Amino acid sequence: MPDIHSRTLGHRERLRALLTNPRYLMVYATIGIFLLIYLFGALLYGSKGFTSVRTFMLFFSDNAYIGISAVGMTLVLITGGIDLSVAAVASLTGMIIAYGTTVLGLHPLVCILIALLAGVGLGALMGACIQYLNVPPFITTLTGMFFARGVTSLISRESISIKHSMIDALAGFKIYLTWPNAQGEWVKIKPVASIDLNTIAFLVVIVIGAIILQRTRFGRNVYAIGGNEQSASLMGLPVARTKVLVYSFNGLCSVLAGIAYVLYVKSGWNLSLQGAELDVISACVIGGVMLSGGVGYMFGTLFGVLLKATIPAIITFNGAMNSWWAKIFTSVLLLLFIMIQRAVIASSQRTRRK
Amino acid sequence: MSDIILEMRGMEISFPGVKALDQVDFTLRRGEVHALLGENGAGKSTLIKVLTGVHRPDAGTMLLSGQPIRPGSTQEAQKMGISTVYQEVNLCHNLTVAENIFIGRQPMKRGRIDWKTINRRARELMLRMGMDIDVTQPLSAYSIAIQQMASIARAVDINAQVLILDEPTSSLDDNEVVNLFAVMRELKAQGLGIIFITHFLDQVFAVSDRLTVLRNGRLVGEYEAGAISKLELVTNMVGKDMNVIYNLQKAPRPDEAPVVLEASGIGIPGKVEDISLNIRKGELLGFAGLLGSGRTETAEMLFGVVPVHQGSISIGEEPLSLRAPLDAIRRGMAFCPEDRKRDGIIGDLSIRENIALAVQATRGFMHPLPQKEQQELAQRFIKLLSIATPDADKKVGELSGGNQQKVILARWMATNPDLLILDEPTRGIDIGAKAEIQRLMLEMCKEGRSVIFISSELDEIIRCANRIIVMRDLAKAAEVDGDTCTQADILAIIANEGEGEEAAV
Repeated sequence: MPDIHSRTLGHRERLRALLTNPRYLMVYATIGIFLLIYLFGALLYGSKGFTSVRTFMLFFSDNAYIGISAVGMTLVLITGGIDLSVAAVASLTGMIIAYGTTVLGLHPLVCILIALLAGVGLGALMGACIQYLNVPPFITTLTGMFFARGVTSLISRESISIKHSMIDALAGFKIYLTWPNAQGEWVKIKPVASIDLNTIAFLVVIVIGAIILQRTRFGRNVYAIGGNEQSASLMGLPVARTKVLVYSFNGLCSVLAGIAYVLYVKSGWNLSLQGAELDVISACVIGGVMLSGGVGYMFGTLFGVLLKATIPAIITFNGAMNSWWAKIFTSVLLLLFIMIQRAVIASSQRTRRK
Repeated sequence: MSDIILEMRGMEISFPGVKALDQVDFTLRRGEVHALLGENGAGKSTLIKVLTGVHRPDAGTMLLSGQPIRPGSTQEAQKMGISTVYQEVNLCHNLTVAENIFIGRQPMKRGRIDWKTINRRARELMLRMGMDIDVTQPLSAYSIAIQQMASIARAVDINAQVLILDEPTSSLDDNEVVNLFAVMRELKAQGLGIIFITHFLDQVFAVSDRLTVLRNGRLVGEYEAGAISKLELVTNMVGKDMNVIYNLQKAPRPDEAPVVLEASGIGIPGKVEDISLNIRKGELLGFAGLLGSGRTETAEMLFGVVPVHQGSISIGEEPLSLRAPLDAIRRGMAFCPEDRKRDGIIGDLSIRENIALAVQATRGFMHPLPQKEQQELAQRFIKLLSIATPDADKKVGELSGGNQQKVILARWMATNPDLLILDEPTRGIDIGAKAEIQRLMLEMCKEGRSVIFISSELDEIIRCANRIIVMRDLAKAAEVDGDTCTQADILAIIANEGEGEEAAV
């Protein structure tokens, strides 16, 4: 029997192989640029509190709804699809909860259940249209977006604030970060920093997403479909089921994102989250997910969201700059990442020719 | 009876306007390589598609190990033990080699995918095929040969009883073919039945135990590989005598005719160096040499696909600077590229649109070719090149390889070129279509056009060319006379690394 273990690597080699693996290049680029920009902010505004734990935790809690939605979007993008309906579904979720609790007097859990049915149902329906009617994902989900926005406006065109003890409790939930002082007692760190429910939800959904992608057959089928749908089908993989499930899962993530947004703003409004689907998509792209499908990692998406959160934070700390500069910097960043992606593709094609 | 794995009896299937299979029988025994032969459109692909559940037959029975089967999809066929490895490897390039072998049936551990076992077992499987590679690299990092082995490894590991290899060798070099054959022999020793489809007749005899020949959707016969000669086989495939097909009249060498194109010392550092050549009106210039010897690169320089860094090209008396293929097209040149799937045909467009494409390009988009003229153009070439199609509006992607090649040829012939460059125009197509394309090239020369013909098959170059340029190691090794040289002469030049002998022109 040939020596199979001759290629088993030591720890150091394995680490080097991991770090030089071209498959993770995009993720490394994201992390590297995140660190660079963070360092830049730290140098300029470190004294104003940019480097505080509090600021860092705000990256998570202020962007949790984008991050949760980005998990589902990552799956959709890896299959080679796109979903433009996520923000509209999240907004619909907010409206269902706000109208349900404030106007109809329903329990928030009932409203959430209704929103889940609506969001996952719409996702499954869109997935089925894409798979069985062969409608391009762009058009299908654009239709879904208009539909969800329309239904939201039909429910109400006013901003409805939410007053319910459960929502207040969930939104107010905080784990304060503490550290031991000189006397060995655990005290709150200064400035006060905390982990709220949205941050926890964001991180949990990211981890679940990563496990789905890397450790389940469903997740690997998602990659295979994005790599070559025809091959995936010829290899006997359940392409149709997987695609419908991916859009349903994204519907679920949209509803979860909507709940996170409700906890963040404690109201529902038909015009909320306008254009947020593009924030979600761009966070994924900055995180190294390729719009052409087949490539992407949850870890990258996490840093994509953080990177997108850092830029407005720096603008805010600057104080003098117009907040629209954040958009301009984000666009520059997107351009940069798209160019890196092209370079990665080109170099991998060059190695294949050898 | 027990040594028969697969039996197909009286298979029939019709498509609109064609009877694709008519009473075809096919028998595959355990532990044999069975070649399925026939020209394009003979029904090989259709038979395979019936077997793998892509098409439902109108009539006939299929027995797998004595049990009647009726697969409704590729997946179903795969579950029954019938696996196919296609010419274009049908795996996912973004996944690792190991994952491609195991996807959809990954070993699980505590509800999660067990990557360690996948990588270890994939490595074992690839080693057994003589491939000592890192299976954790993406499939795209490896050559077609290795990708194909991964594809075979997957099929075999799924517990295939019947393995179909559809044109597996057309993208492989000689060593890779030898290795593939070794694997095929190993697999048949394990008791698999292998159906081998190829256009290379030498390979058929090298590896097959038995042959089945189809022609026009009918069974011609089943033969023992040792009991039939190559000539008989070809005669059976085309239904005509081979000598009749190859009765080609080479045009006389036009030594007095004016030079239409001259290149002196052209090259791209690191790619091809210092190529000088000329071609006369009405001449057929052959380009011989191994794959990767610089033949294609030279052709691409002549046509302006890649910019020329050194040397100069002139057409007639006029020096020429080519910035893009369109410049070359406007000067009366045409180029059929090597990879027709990638650079040539546009599969989703109709035959008519594909043929009109180059003519349209020379006119510019402001002057669209009227629909009626397009139709006439298409009809004329369908007839002239005998492209097998019900009408000009069929999508090119649905045609067979040989017919696709003819469509590309038609596209460029329609521009009425003075100089036509054909890069491997006969690769992957059957003998009948090959002979037809060779005949067309010679006819174009007789009309006073010039042709540069690039091919890996020396016999067809010698059969057609007036002069032959032999390429070796990214440079011109020699120029020989097409009328007097032999295959052995050219092989000697290709093989001889040391001296650059310049044979008499």
